[in-house]
Amino acid sequence: MIKTQNLWKIYEIGNEKVQVQALRGVDLEVEKGEYLAIMGPSGSGKSTLMNLIGCLDTPTQGEYYLNSRLVSQMNDDELAFIRNKEIGFVFQTFNLLPRATALHNVELPLIYNGTESKERIQKAKKALEMVDLTDRITHKPNELSGGERQRVAIARAIVNNPSLILADEPTGNLDTATGAEIMKLVDRLHSEGNTIILITHEADIAAHAHRAIHLRDGKIEQDEKVK
Amino acid sequence: MQFLESIGVALKSLIANKLRSILTLIGVIIGVMTVIAVVSIIAGMNKYVADQISSLGSTTFFVDAGWRTIMSEEDYLKVLKRKEFTLQDMEAVKKGCPLCWKVGAEMVAYRKVKYREKYLSDVEIDGSTANITEISDINLSSGRYPSEFENLHNRRVALIGWEVADNLFPGQDPLEKDIKIGNYYFRVVGVAEKRGTFLGISQDNFVMIPITTFNKLFGTKRFLAIFVKVESFGSMQEAQDQVRLVLRARRHVPYDKPDDFAIMTSDTFMELYRNFTSTAFIVMIGVSSIALVVGGIVIMNIMLVSVTERTREIGIRKAVGAKKKNILWQFLVEAVTVALVGGLIGVILGSIIAKIVAATTPLPAAIEAWSVITGLIIATSVGLFFGIFPAVKAAKLDPIACLRYE
Repeated sequence: MIKTQNLWKIYEIGNEKVQVQALRGVDLEVEKGEYLAIMGPSGSGKSTLMNLIGCLDTPTQGEYYLNSRLVSQMNDDELAFIRNKEIGFVFQTFNLLPRATALHNVELPLIYNGTESKERIQKAKKALEMVDLTDRITHKPNELSGGERQRVAIARAIVNNPSLILADEPTGNLDTATGAEIMKLVDRLHSEGNTIILITHEADIAAHAHRAIHLRDGKIEQDEKVK
Repeated sequence: MQFLESIGVALKSLIANKLRSILTLIGVIIGVMTVIAVVSIIAGMNKYVADQISSLGSTTFFVDAGWRTIMSEEDYLKVLKRKEFTLQDMEAVKKGCPLCWKVGAEMVAYRKVKYREKYLSDVEIDGSTANITEISDINLSSGRYPSEFENLHNRRVALIGWEVADNLFPGQDPLEKDIKIGNYYFRVVGVAEKRGTFLGISQDNFVMIPITTFNKLFGTKRFLAIFVKVESFGSMQEAQDQVRLVLRARRHVPYDKPDDFAIMTSDTFMELYRNFTSTAFIVMIGVSSIALVVGGIVIMNIMLVSVTERTREIGIRKAVGAKKKNILWQFLVEAVTVALVGGLIGVILGSIIAKIVAATTPLPAAIEAWSVITGLIIATSVGLFFGIFPAVKAAKLDPIACLRYE
């Protein structure tokens, strides 16, 4: 489902054109239904890799195929379309719209693919049901606990039925117990057939995945089956 | 649908940030308010003047040496050199113009008018032929007009304006009382109906006396104007030509020289008024529009702040699939909504101001549909114009940088 060939990302910082090689030739294949963790210390390039896989950015060099489509050369609007259709993001800091209700936050991806409001609300409610938040749909993020917020974010990630769920340190801002709950939910999503990529530096979170990739200095250092 | 969504977001954020909204709106409110108030007052003045001028009637014109059309010092010096009309000229017009149904004349002077210890200085004294009351509208509130007979015999009778009656005879009947005009006594035979004010100048501060009496007591060289009424509008032009012919012959104007007098109709006055005021009005509207530009800049400023403040929101929206145009629209619709809300409030306040001005000053005001619609269109345009830069800036933001923004 995901196939990258010799992926490079080089940033130029400041006016003096200092080049930072964030990724230096990454080859990666991910099959449908996999549960993958991308690990590595900070500065290893895992965030950069996530941005590329998540179609938020394009590589400096190399090719990236998502569902056999070459996305590495798409323009911003085409990427936006792919993000909307194929990818569900779960962020460490939740990234919910602060002034919108849980329901409206979950509706957001549907707004941008032109789903009609009736169907939109129906789908959003269903997604919230899947994360057990039926009784919280009219609450705003600041009226929800951290775990609840992350569940809203997960509902938003799955509402459009994406091929890939990208979770970037999903438990990073949560206490251990809540984090465990969220991971249980992620595990469940995987068991329901979703493809999941976790970006984390915590070994016990990565342990939920079935495959782990270790990045170091912009290269894949190790690629192992966990279970 | 996304459009409605954007309007909803805009209104919600307007309500959520009350103080900021008021500050944002205030620029547009003041701008639109000023424009609407100014335009309403101008429209009111135009309408009022048009009404006043048309009260002269479409079948009436008058002729003088040019005093009533002076627009510059040059005009003044030119008119000063011209010969004044006399009653003989009027008689000649009567004879030489078969299309002229009624021909009258009026002369003007300003004198002190006194009754016992009460007096008014600088009252307009009109020396008129008896038929002038049939040519231009002067309605009586009591008494009668000076008669043809009194005109023929230089009688000292007077028809007084409403304001003169009110000032000299408070609570009394002025009829058959003797007033003193300058140094001469006149008997009041009639009181005119109240005519109101025109641009703050009273239309009721006059005394009308027979023109023959006027000639005898106040002199003959007094801006005499010949008044002509034709039977139907169709013969206006031809009657004017006949009058022109008679007067040019009498004044010995060579065929290749322009008239040394002026023929005036209500159209002439309308044109004079327009020439005189149009530039001033354009300047007034222009100056009041400056507030709108300032209002637009305030919107732009606040929208830029809003884009920065909501960088993360932009990142989130982009991450879940918002395209550039979606973000562009959202911020543009917000700017236009803000401007339109400001515009609406401005229109309401502007109309109220125009009404207050009309009620408390001599200036009239007319709030017209087109000016309200124009006000709203202008507000929308201001929102669009000044909203586009912040919206483009928001649309161009990089989603990764936005998501990382603290």
